[in-house]
Amino acid sequence: MKPPLLSTQNLQIGYSNGKPASKVISFDLNLELHQGEFVCLVGPNGAGKSTLLRTLTGLLPALDGEVLLGAKKLAQYTRKELANEISVVLTSPIEVGAMTVTELVAMGRFPYTGLFDRMSGNDWKIVHQALEMVGLLGFEERMVHKLSDGERQKVMIARALAQEPRILVLDEPTAYLDLPGRVSVMNLLHELTTDHGQTVLTSTHDLDLAMRSADRLWLMSPGGKIISGAPEDLVLSGDFQRVFTRDRITYDVMNGHFSVVGNNEGEICLQAEGELRVWTERALQRVGYSVIEDSPTCPAMRIAVHMNENDVIWVLQDGDQEREFNNLESLVSFLRAH
Amino acid sequence: MNAKSNHTSGSNQAWIFILLGVLLLLVIALNLTLGSVRIPLQDILKVLFGQSGVKDSWVFIVQDYRLPKILTAILAGMALSASGLQMQTMFRNPLADPFILGINSGASLGVAIAIMGAGLAGGLFIPALSAGGDLGLVAAASLGAGLVMGLILLVGRRVQNPTTLLILGLMFGHATSALVSLLIYFSAPEKVKAYSIWSFGSFTGVTWDQLMVLVPVILFALGILAFLPKGLNALLLGEDYARTMGLNVTRLRVLVLISASVLSGAITAFCGPIGFIGVAVPHIARNLFKTSNHKLLIPAVILIGAIVAVTADLVAQMPGSQFVLPINVVTSLFGAPFVLWIVLKRKQGSTSFNV
Repeated sequence: MKPPLLSTQNLQIGYSNGKPASKVISFDLNLELHQGEFVCLVGPNGAGKSTLLRTLTGLLPALDGEVLLGAKKLAQYTRKELANEISVVLTSPIEVGAMTVTELVAMGRFPYTGLFDRMSGNDWKIVHQALEMVGLLGFEERMVHKLSDGERQKVMIARALAQEPRILVLDEPTAYLDLPGRVSVMNLLHELTTDHGQTVLTSTHDLDLAMRSADRLWLMSPGGKIISGAPEDLVLSGDFQRVFTRDRITYDVMNGHFSVVGNNEGEICLQAEGELRVWTERALQRVGYSVIEDSPTCPAMRIAVHMNENDVIWVLQDGDQEREFNNLESLVSFLRAH
Repeated sequence: MNAKSNHTSGSNQAWIFILLGVLLLLVIALNLTLGSVRIPLQDILKVLFGQSGVKDSWVFIVQDYRLPKILTAILAGMALSASGLQMQTMFRNPLADPFILGINSGASLGVAIAIMGAGLAGGLFIPALSAGGDLGLVAAASLGAGLVMGLILLVGRRVQNPTTLLILGLMFGHATSALVSLLIYFSAPEKVKAYSIWSFGSFTGVTWDQLMVLVPVILFALGILAFLPKGLNALLLGEDYARTMGLNVTRLRVLVLISASVLSGAITAFCGPIGFIGVAVPHIARNLFKTSNHKLLIPAVILIGAIVAVTADLVAQMPGSQFVLPINVVTSLFGAPFVLWIVLKRKQGSTSFNV
């Protein structure tokens, strides 16, 4: 295996304020980031994700231990050298005032242009490529402050790409975005690694998206400990659930999503198939019933879903009584009142 | 592909620059001809090109009164606007300017110490001061401005909220004013009078000798600014982005500190505290050119600043009357509503410079 692009040795992160009594957020971190990987840093709020990213990008000094970029210590890089290696996208929406998309992306060439910021033909070519990679061709002359939040974050990613970094680091780039924006940005980051071999490290709260696209997760627990591994391995080992389980919220290992533990109303046998089964089950779980496999000796209530012509009918059988429902809404409200 | 559309907007911007240049020449010409005495333009041209056949008194008025005054106004407009632009970007605050952040008060304190403090020290410094003369006054004002600005930078680093920064400036302004009051209280009446006339603000009374000091000082500070557009642009994204782009933020801050405090300090030393030009002109430039790019904004504010200051002086002369208003009256009467407009136009909590 090739040596990692970025690694940490017994890294200790936190804030020092210049006083001896520093606030340690996490210690003994030994992490590795490899060429072309898509790594998502996940963990609950306040675990120290931003602090770690700030330390890895040189914005915050390490309290102890080392960050190695290639074979060289991060602390030995000058700001300018570091700008050739790492570029960032931060959470907060930027407010630059009146600036075109091209002008903003061109700022990615900052480390390469001279004192007066003259752009060469090659610089413009790289800006064009960056816009192409994030799918914003045709946006060149649009004003940044008139774009949607999702588009603006893509412009910031294009700016970071125009910096031609070996590692692209993003701190919760999807935090301010709506759902389509989140999917689109995470998808873009994934494509950058698969299609362009870009190494990407991002922190995110979108666990579902992270689980589906990341090569590896850095799973940060509230104590600051970080476990690294493929998303699926972390679920199977139980680490993922341990970090995120709260009161009444559990990670459903079978279905791969979080669910709220409601009141337990008992069990219901369900006789249905396909999508009707999936969504009926969800409706029943929502009001607190757990669904069990149907059998002739069903000990509890039974719901059978019948289809005739164009209609679907839900038949609820409780002992001798039978009731019919035309939709899940009426079934659920009956169960609630029951 | 986009080179074409860039070119179109680029030529638009060139046209705006040309129009502004014409406008500047126009207000200069108006300012030369109008005043308590009206002098025809052709006679003014004769004076400027050293031809004879003009009344002696007119020659005197143009050469020793109106020309240095207009030159001073141009320098002041350029300096205050450039200073305001740098500060708005550095503090990420659309209301930052030398006057509002109390940096002028720092300069005033420097001047007050130079004018009155010298007397307080038992005449010890008077010979030194008169030897240092105008340059000493500039240095005192620049140091005072730099001191307050440095303090605001130090304290303001922890402040994210734009309003807090303004309150900070207000408090520093009050503190320095208190010190000035203390000086006034213990000073001889004639020195107090000299100080209070100075504090009304005026472009008149700056002599050619003083201009020999003022011109190179302002050019030096604007010269520093010529190297800063790249860094100031990066700073628009915020300090974290700027640092990861390889910008030495501390060095940029120091250079802005020097440039902005010399610009506002030198002008304050010679013209008194002049309000609102520094805050208003960068906004006019952003709205006119529809850009936040400092490569354009810096020449734009310098040009617009000169126009605004010469025009303000024109209004202050109240052509046709014997009356001359203090320049601060004019800039405040027009500037205060303008600042109110900026405040009301801003989105809630926004720190940006939207146009």
